Parts: sequence; C-alpha cells; structure tokens
Amino acid sequence: MNEQFVFGEKHEFLQKLKDLVKGGISPKKINVFTPYPVHEVEEILKVPTSPLRFFTLLGALSGLFFGAWFTAWTSLDWPLIGGGKPIVSVPAFVIVTFELTILFGGVISFLGFLILSKLPSPKRIGTPVEHGNQFVIEIQSEGK
Amino acid sequence: MKSIEYNEQLERDVLAALSKPSPWYWVALVVCALLFVTGLSLWLYQILKGMGVSGLNNPVGWGTYITDFVFWVGIAHSGTLISAILFLFRAKFRNAFNRSAEAMTVFAVMTAGLFPLIHLGRTWFFYWLFPYPNQRGLWVNFKSPLVWDVFAVSTYFTISLIFWYTGLVPDIAIVRRYATGFRKKIYSIFSLGWTGSLRQWWHYNRLYVFLAAFATPLVISVHSVVSWDFAMSIIPGWHTTIFAPYFVAGAIFSGTGMVITLVVPMRKIFRLEKLITINHFEKIAQTLLFTSLIVTYSYIVEFGLAFYGHHQFEAAHFTYRLLGDYQVLYWIMLFGNSLLPLTLFVRKLRRSIVYLFIVSIFVNIGMWLERFVIIVTSLAKDFDPYAWGLYKPSVVEIGITLGSFGMFFMFFLIFVKVLPVLSVTEIKEEAAHE
Repeated sequence: MNEQFVFGEKHEFLQKLKDLVKGGISPKKINVFTPYPVHEVEEILKVPTSPLRFFTLLGALSGLFFGAWFTAWTSLDWPLIGGGKPIVSVPAFVIVTFELTILFGGVISFLGFLILSKLPSPKRIGTPVEHGNQFVIEIQSEGK
Repeated sequence: MKSIEYNEQLERDVLAALSKPSPWYWVALVVCALLFVTGLSLWLYQILKGMGVSGLNNPVGWGTYITDFVFWVGIAHSGTLISAILFLFRAKFRNAFNRSAEAMTVFAVMTAGLFPLIHLGRTWFFYWLFPYPNQRGLWVNFKSPLVWDVFAVSTYFTISLIFWYTGLVPDIAIVRRYATGFRKKIYSIFSLGWTGSLRQWWHYNRLYVFLAAFATPLVISVHSVVSWDFAMSIIPGWHTTIFAPYFVAGAIFSGTGMVITLVVPMRKIFRLEKLITINHFEKIAQTLLFTSLIVTYSYIVEFGLAFYGHHQFEAAHFTYRLLGDYQVLYWIMLFGNSLLPLTLFVRKLRRSIVYLFIVSIFVNIGMWLERFVIIVTSLAKDFDPYAWGLYKPSVVEIGITLGSFGMFFMFFLIFVKVLPVLSVTEIKEEAAHE
C-alpha cells in the first residue's frame, strides 16, 4: 500500500517533501501531484533535465535534412530552368527547409512529450485521478 | 486568503463562462453562422459561375481575396506574439490574454487558409500546390514564393494548434473535474488522462519552452514569406527590401488590435474584470502603440526609398498611392494605423476600455485597407500606361469577406463556451509566486 500525504498549501508541502528526502527516502520512490508546475520539487528531488530535448533535437535535425534533400532532389528529378536561376537554388530552398525544420521539430517534440509522460492514458481517461487544488506526496511502499 | 480557496474561486470564476449561454449569445452565434453560410454559398456560386463574378480583371488579378488572406494571416500573428514571445520574455501580463490570443491564431489561420483556395479559379485542383509525384514525375516549383506560402502557412497552423492544445491540457483536466455526464467523458478524452504528476509537469514544462522557442521565429518567417509573395516580383511598390519586417510589424499590430476587439466584450460578458484588469489593458495598449510606431516608420521609409531611389516608376507609384484613385482608402488607413494610435500616449485614454475598443476597430479597418492599397494600387498602375486599369470588389467578393468574419467570430464564440478562456493553471502559478 502506498503512503500518501495531502496538503492544501504549497509551503507545507515543500517542507514535508524536504523532510522526507532528508529522512533518507529515495527520491525515486516519491511521486507528487500538484495543481500547477512547482519548480522547487524538481530541485528537491534532484530530477535531471527532461530527455524531451533529444526528441526536439532529433525532430528539428530530421526536418532540416529532409527539407534540404527534398527540395534539391525534386528539382533535380525534373530539371527545369526558371527565371535563369540555378536548378538547385539554395537561397530559395532555405525557406522551405526552415519551415520543415520547425514543423518536424514541433510535431516530434509533442509526440516525445506524449511518449515520455505516458499520455494519453486510457486507464486515466476512463477513471480520472483528481487531486483538485491539493498537493499530494505519494511514497511507494517497499513491496513494489 | 488561503491559496486553496483562492484557486477554487479562480476556477469558478473562469469556468462560469462555460455555463448556459444567454439569449444574446445565441443571437450573436446565429448572426455569425448566417454570415458564414452566406459566404460559403457565394463561394459555391463563384465555383459554379467562374471567376468572372469577382471584380478581378486584367491588370488587377489580385484583389480582395488576397487582401483577406494577408489580413487574416496577420491577425493570427499576434496570437503567437502574445503567447510565445511574451512567454520567453516572462512578461506577466501575458496570462490575461494568451488563451484567447492562441485561439484567435488558430481560427485566423483557418480562415486565412481558405482564401488562396477561394482565389483559385479551379479550386478542385488545390492539391497541385502540394509536392506529390504526379503522373509525369513533375514536382512543385520550390523557387516560387507561392509554394513557400503553402509550407509556411501549413506549418504555422500545425504548430499553433499544438501550442494551443498543449497549454489547454492541464486546464481541460480542471474542466473535467467540474463537468458531469457526457461532457465529462469528452473532456476526459481531451485531457488525455492528465493527473498533474511530477513526471507529467516535468516533461510538460520543457515542451512548452521548446514550442514557444519554435513559434517565435516561425511567426517572423511566415509573414516574411507572405510579404515575399509580393516583394519577389518586380512590380513598383512591391519590389522592396523593407517588405518582410514591414509586414511582420503590420501583422503584429493588426493582431494586437484584434485581441483588444475580442477581449473587451469577452471580459464584459463573462465578468472577468477581476482577472483581466485595466493594468493588463494598459500593457496591451502600449504594445499596440509601439507596433503602430513601427508601422508608421515603415510607411515613411517606403516613401523615402521610392523618392531617394531615383526610380521614376517607384516615385510615380507612391505619388499615385497618396493622391491617385485609391487615395481615400490610403488616408483612412493612415488615420487608423498611424494617427489615432498616437493618442494612446495619453495615459488616461490608454486606460479607457471604451476608447481602446474604438481604436482597435479603426486599427482593424486600417490594416485591412493597408493590404488592399498595397495590392491593388501596384497592380492597377504598373509600368505601361496602356495596361493600366482599375478594380472594384464585386458583391460576391464583399460577401465572402464578410463571411470570413462570420466564420472567425463563430469559431471564437464556440471556443468561449467550450474551453476555459483564461489559462487557469498559469494564473495559479503566478498567484503562488506573489
């Protein structure tokens, strides 16, 4: 059975959290629920930077390379000279490449967020967990 | 006050807007929906009859539809400005406006996206704009600004939608708690099963920063691309290097005007005076004034470039804009965009909601006319006097334009009854810091 502490005020909740960590409970066993993001929690539990940034980087880079390759390849696939410009007109292609960098970066970041935070969660959609405006600390018991 | 009480009061205040609508709401919704349907029917009429029903002619091949397109894309922009840029700068007054501004962005891009399709003579071939290998292996021309537009606008729509939805998820979870029955099920699905756990907030915060960081350069690129639709040609009045920053500034200016136009009645109807204060309005009025100054500066530079450039066609064109066939529209534009906003230097006027609302209406009109003047005057009189001609919007064009306003306001009215109009989570976070 998990142990739960419920608070109405942020400072009480943070104090308890500090005490628990000082008391030797591994931060990995602590889960908290808050009504809005509380950045102090991440400091107290020493949570590392979210790995989401790797999704963002990967997404943006894939958009960049795809855009650069796609514009050049399609132009070479059926070479038509227009306005006396080179077939592969880099300055013009930068624009489409830039947009695709942002598109892929944004979409893959969002998908990364869903994967990392395990959303959407069919179980929680069926029976939502509501903590209202309370701050909750949950400690996983040893057995688990 | 205890924070838990404050937060619950806040939730009740914001969610009160979602309660049963008043008869006036229905009247407004029906009027907007009728306008929208009228616009759609006129579009159908145009598809059946052909482009001849519009006032477009030779030489003026771009008219009201392209004006509407640029206008609505411009409106969309300040949504992202208020949301993403002010988020990155940690501007606190943001949270009074960000949700409605983001919604405005999404709806305005949807409206804008229709206009290139309406403008196409053969709408049913719209998919030719997308790069897909057709039977002859022929691809789209990536050197064309119109293809850049396709990529810019569709990226902008996708990212704005994701950004808006991401901000909404924790708030939908709050609505879910208050809702009952079938509505609860719907909100549960859209809240994705949000619990507010450490893991979720941890990734969520990163995502929000990244999306804001993506959206900011995106906004600038999108309206630059829209301006290049014009600037890449050699028509006098269009072919100028100032166009990209000039259009971006104009877009943010017009969008800020539209935010005021939307938020003033919304605040009044839903009694959000406690949450959206006069101080918030003063900040947004300052943004409006600041962007108005940039726009005015661009107007001056445009004339400077034309007359110092020793280019007779440029000079003749700008004289024509100021004193030619469309001068009345140009002067109304100058009044709405450059002159009237100057009164916002007076603190008392800046803090008068009614006055701000009136100014914002003039800004909307002025910015629509700005695009109209830029597009039509340049085409009406270019190089060869033999090819000059005038343009007047037809009834169909005016009807479709009004229909686009109907569509935009209809979506906005639906939004205010379905989703929280303020970011509850962010206001809570802000309150906890104070």
